[in-house]
Amino acid sequence: MAIATNKGLSLAREIYADRSKRVRELRRDGKKIVGYICLYPPVEIITALGLVPFRIFGDMSEPITAADRVSTTMVCPFVRSILDLGLKGKFDFLDGVVGAHTCDIGAGIILQWRDAIKDAPFTHLLDVPHTDHAPAVDYFEGQINSFKRHIEELAGEKLTDDKLKKACEMHNEQRKLVRQLYDLRKPDPPLLSSAENLEVMVALSSLPVEEGNSLLEDIIQEVTERKVKPSPKKVRLLVWGPVFDNTALYDLIESADAHVVVDDTCVGTRAFWADVKPPYNLHALAQHYLVDIKCPRTYRQAEPFETRRDYDKDLDSRFNYIKKAIVDWGVNGVVLQSVKYCDTHGYEVPNLRHYLDTLGIPSIYIEHDYSERSMAPIKTRVEAFVETLG
Amino acid sequence: MSDSVAPAKTEQKRAINRLKSMYPLRNLVAQDYINTLQASNEGKPTVWAMLNYWEGDLPLKAMGLNIVYPENYSTLMASSGTAEPFLDASDSDGFPTHMCGYGRSTIGYSFRMMKQNDGKIPPEAPMGGMAKPTLLLGSGIICDARFKWFQALSRYFDAPEWCLEMPMMGTFEGTEPDLEEYQVKFLVRELRDFIAFLEKLLGKKMDWAKLEELIEVGIKIHETCWQIHELRKVSPCPMHSTDFWSSMPPALFFAGDMYEALKCYQDMLTEVQERVKNKVAAINYPEKYRIVFAELPPWHSLKFFDNLAEMGWNFVYESYGYHNPRPPDLSKVSDPVEKLARLSRNFVFNVHPYAKADGIENPIVETYLRIAKGWKADGLFLHPLISCRAASAGLRSVQDQLQKRLDVPTLWVEGDIIDKRVFNPQETLARAEAFEQTMEHYRKVRKSRGLDW
Ligand code: SF4
Ligand code: SF4
Repeated sequence: MAIATNKGLSLAREIYADRSKRVRELRRDGKKIVGYICLYPPVEIITALGLVPFRIFGDMSEPITAADRVSTTMVCPFVRSILDLGLKGKFDFLDGVVGAHTCDIGAGIILQWRDAIKDAPFTHLLDVPHTDHAPAVDYFEGQINSFKRHIEELAGEKLTDDKLKKACEMHNEQRKLVRQLYDLRKPDPPLLSSAENLEVMVALSSLPVEEGNSLLEDIIQEVTERKVKPSPKKVRLLVWGPVFDNTALYDLIESADAHVVVDDTCVGTRAFWADVKPPYNLHALAQHYLVDIKCPRTYRQAEPFETRRDYDKDLDSRFNYIKKAIVDWGVNGVVLQSVKYCDTHGYEVPNLRHYLDTLGIPSIYIEHDYSERSMAPIKTRVEAFVETLG
Repeated sequence: MSDSVAPAKTEQKRAINRLKSMYPLRNLVAQDYINTLQASNEGKPTVWAMLNYWEGDLPLKAMGLNIVYPENYSTLMASSGTAEPFLDASDSDGFPTHMCGYGRSTIGYSFRMMKQNDGKIPPEAPMGGMAKPTLLLGSGIICDARFKWFQALSRYFDAPEWCLEMPMMGTFEGTEPDLEEYQVKFLVRELRDFIAFLEKLLGKKMDWAKLEELIEVGIKIHETCWQIHELRKVSPCPMHSTDFWSSMPPALFFAGDMYEALKCYQDMLTEVQERVKNKVAAINYPEKYRIVFAELPPWHSLKFFDNLAEMGWNFVYESYGYHNPRPPDLSKVSDPVEKLARLSRNFVFNVHPYAKADGIENPIVETYLRIAKGWKADGLFLHPLISCRAASAGLRSVQDQLQKRLDVPTLWVEGDIIDKRVFNPQETLARAEAFEQTMEHYRKVRKSRGLDW
């Protein structure tokens, strides 16, 4: 198989450049490929049923043309880009598509898929509650159960406790390896550039978990041993925000004399900070996705039933995992990036910036329309920001 | 939500033939602003709530709380032309400019109040302003702004927040067998926790008898409203969209005194029945075209509908998101919390079975197909908003399916609920004139297909 001719970082780059190459091969070998949107569809169930999970992204280099037929220009361009590619037939290798109600616009992709794109025989929309309240976790478990029953039809087999346990362990192994990968950027200078890191993360989302795990092992070894390392730079940054699956932003930042050493984005660490906890059952999955994954789409507060809100405590309860990353990776500035029209992240911006201010960490907010074209105007702002940190 | 809450002026001959019974309903919402200000002055609790489709409104009212709805207040800012400085204030405090105009105005208002005016109501606030909240009630229904924007207000207020839950699903998953019972169970647990939280916050017990009574009044209000809007199916249509928008708050979020509201809606029903009997139209020009409006109106430019009325455009239905559906039969449900859960859930899920039967995945599309058929629309006026994803995202599919399935054409006019700069009434009028030919053409097409309008 072509896949074996390349290895490590260079293989990650190859997959990043042609994401569907490997899953198309697997499909020819009889595997079923399930595209999923956003972080919330539990990939463990897909893997456990012998299906290959493939994360669906848009394409920042492809102008949105076909999507205008089905969506308006005032919705998230990431969503529009996915619809656009779908309408252009670029997901023809998928046997199924799973979306989740992560935000109200993101949920619409599946509705559009059914009404307008129609090219995957299996689709499922997982309802995700808005809060991390205890009844919401139980409700979500029931939703995951419905998803399980539905996707068992596609797989032609039943999910057993054993299969689920094995899949959870494999995905937890991937989470552990990703954390080790991120550790490689703790030294100064980091051993891996942020663009290389993103290529790896995108590659992982395009491969079966076991192949992703061995890719990660190879890369960790390769990077640890390689002689040529990224050169030292003035500042160490954390990038925050919703989906960013293209190296353009990282290249731009790194060309401004800064290393991005860690992130809190949904292509980066967000799905990997926490493990699914034993016993590996549907409740554990509900708990993991709804409570342990920290994405602004879920409403959380310092204490349930609190009768007075303490602003600082509230912010700390929501963002202290970012503080930990800042300390552990020696970060001295934060770039908050967001796709235009993203409400879940947009409302978070001033409060998160305030929190960072209290930590003495300067930050900048940049907005883009999920296109490579929209990177150019951001460059000057990032350069000026890095200048102030130097 | 209401275009103005000023007292009714003497009726003059205008292009739109306003219902007399609309004015008292329009004025009811003013009570809430006054009561809340008074309560706040007396040190009593006050609530800011998002539209929550009744699951939160009724427990709050049963606990005797005074509530205002910033979404409604934002429409007042927009229609009185006072929104801009508040939008600027939101921008200056670092909130992205692309977000919901209602959210931005409220954020700007809160910023002005708490950071620039020592906790007092900003002097430029219309209607005497919204009193400082002691509780914020967010909601997961329809859009993410409904809980994210209230969460963001922690920047200004130390008021606690509660976020109400509501499942949001498309047709396929939303019509699974046994789903309703499972969702109701979830909502009941959530609502019990919400009530327990209110009891803890207020240091008093829920008045269950009052809650039951209010639910019953609420159901009667909804039943009456449903009857009123069914009567708009006749030609000429007796009630114009502007009357709906002006009179909707007492049904949409139970604004004002609910007993009084019920009486006012009953009066409205009588007036509309009279009009139907006497063939009195909602416009003072012959009804040439029956138009449906989607979704939220340009509050700052409602006069524009007068110009369209002069052209014989009668707006016969509108804004599905603001209409209550016919309430389900809850006579066999004894637990008030369960009644509440079923009443609210019905808002989100009432159309799913029809969508399933028609093979339509997006229930919003199905809703508009049903409206277009039921109210015999010659055309739909689609108003996608730059600052509201929820009300705009599905409109292309609505446009597409109405054309394909019913040969009902649509006029696509971009605008906004708050920002008047993006809406051009002159240009829209010119486009409306041209659109008349399209409507004429599709009338013939529908006839040739055997459709009855
Ligand atoms: S980027 Fe934001 S708006 Fe877009 S799909 Fe993600 S969470 Fe939703
Ligand atoms: S539905 Fe639209 S206008 Fe209403 S609160 Fe949500 S985003 Fe704002």
